[in-house]
Amino acid sequence: MGLFQKRPSRTDFEREALPHLPTLYAAAARMTRNEKDAEDLVQDTMLRAYRFFDTFEAGTNCKAWLFRILTNAFCNRYREREREHEILTEAESSDANVEQFVGGVDARDSEGALLGKMVSADVEKALAAVPPDFRMAVVLADLEDFSYKEIAEIMNCPAGTVMSRLYRGRKILQGLLHDYAVEQGIIPADHAPEAESRATEAPAGKTVDMAAYRRRRDGEGSR
Amino acid sequence: MNCLEAKPFVHAYVDGELTGSDREVFQRHLLTCAACSQICRLQGRFKAAIRAHLPRPPVPPELRARLRTALAIEPIAPRRWPWLAYPRLVPAAVAAVLLLGITGTVRRSQSMVLQQSQRSYHAEMPMDVVGSDCGSIASWFRGRVDFPLLAPSLGKQAICQGGRLVNVGEWPAAYIVYQVANNHRVAFLVFAPRDESIEAPHRRVVNGREIYLDGGPGTSTAAYWDRGLGYVATSDLDEDSLARLVTTAFNQ
Repeated sequence: MGLFQKRPSRTDFEREALPHLPTLYAAAARMTRNEKDAEDLVQDTMLRAYRFFDTFEAGTNCKAWLFRILTNAFCNRYREREREHEILTEAESSDANVEQFVGGVDARDSEGALLGKMVSADVEKALAAVPPDFRMAVVLADLEDFSYKEIAEIMNCPAGTVMSRLYRGRKILQGLLHDYAVEQGIIPADHAPEAESRATEAPAGKTVDMAAYRRRRDGEGSR
Repeated sequence: MNCLEAKPFVHAYVDGELTGSDREVFQRHLLTCAACSQICRLQGRFKAAIRAHLPRPPVPPELRARLRTALAIEPIAPRRWPWLAYPRLVPAAVAAVLLLGITGTVRRSQSMVLQQSQRSYHAEMPMDVVGSDCGSIASWFRGRVDFPLLAPSLGKQAICQGGRLVNVGEWPAAYIVYQVANNHRVAFLVFAPRDESIEAPHRRVVNGREIYLDGGPGTSTAAYWDRGLGYVATSDLDEDSLARLVTTAFNQ
């Protein structure tokens, strides 16, 4: 019985929120790494969203709003457990490594590239082994097409942190894929990725900031 | 732009996040640098390949059924107007309105930080750091925010619950949550002022200090400057109680 605004109805909720169920479930499955937990997480998210549906502003991004609730619910319920299991993975790859996965400069090479030979289950397994914050950034950016700004809102962190999490997440994923490929004999064990000067890369865990670059550039330009 | 400067933005470029002159500068570098343009191509192809390898798993039919049942018995979201959600606050709200007549009104527009503080409050996001020791919560922020954080000390009446790193504009800021009597929640957004305004509809002067107050639906905010930092408190307390609480932070 709203005084100024029409109270949202179940039909409104079903129209706005339910179409996002498949994408919420896919992300939940990747975050929890377990079907049963993914179902619970999605149900929890949807009920919470329903309960707070009056706080959703009609016409704004419902998918991002739902993902914020999902991320929140995930962190509350599973984060502690995740931490116990979390093995800090140091597997990170270099650019030379990426070339192995996707083939050379010529697009025709990519047919025979490593990622073409790997099965989805391996890629799924590698993604599952990426620590949660980095995994979430990769899932949101690469599988769900959220912008950095949306991811920052969903994960509630600065955009620079999104960039560094995404950067590390992808590096770790590439490193893990490399390890699996070696394990399965797709590439020989002694084919270690070329050591690349880490100094030329964005420092892990540090945020990268285009604004800072611009300030530096403009500062130099004015001199 | 040289390779060293370009490298950190490879992913942003591949993700289509560089726009305008940033994108132009970056692309100009790619034209002259085979190594960087190859890295961009490879990262772009990796992104596409990952996606191709990871199709969405189908939603289990049982989940749809479970949801249908759960939604059917779940009460429909109520409108959270303060006098509906908190009927016992009505006298306090009336008092606040009367007081407003005495203390005067400033501009109606709400500042960006106040809106942000309310958004963070309603978002119910998880904490980055959890604990009841205010000091250790404050020290967690060291190095994460670019100012020396002074957590508001609210005495024994408030128990620290945790903190979260948030953003004010482009800058990191601290968000600290306390629990106060009767299960009320007070969250402080603490930030180093750049050019933010904290003006809110109601201005009150307590002990010679200005507090800006606002009562939104179900929540109130109180904003003030203290020792060079900006503080915005958001709470489900009524405006008066919140004003009293932040005043104790001045005196500590």
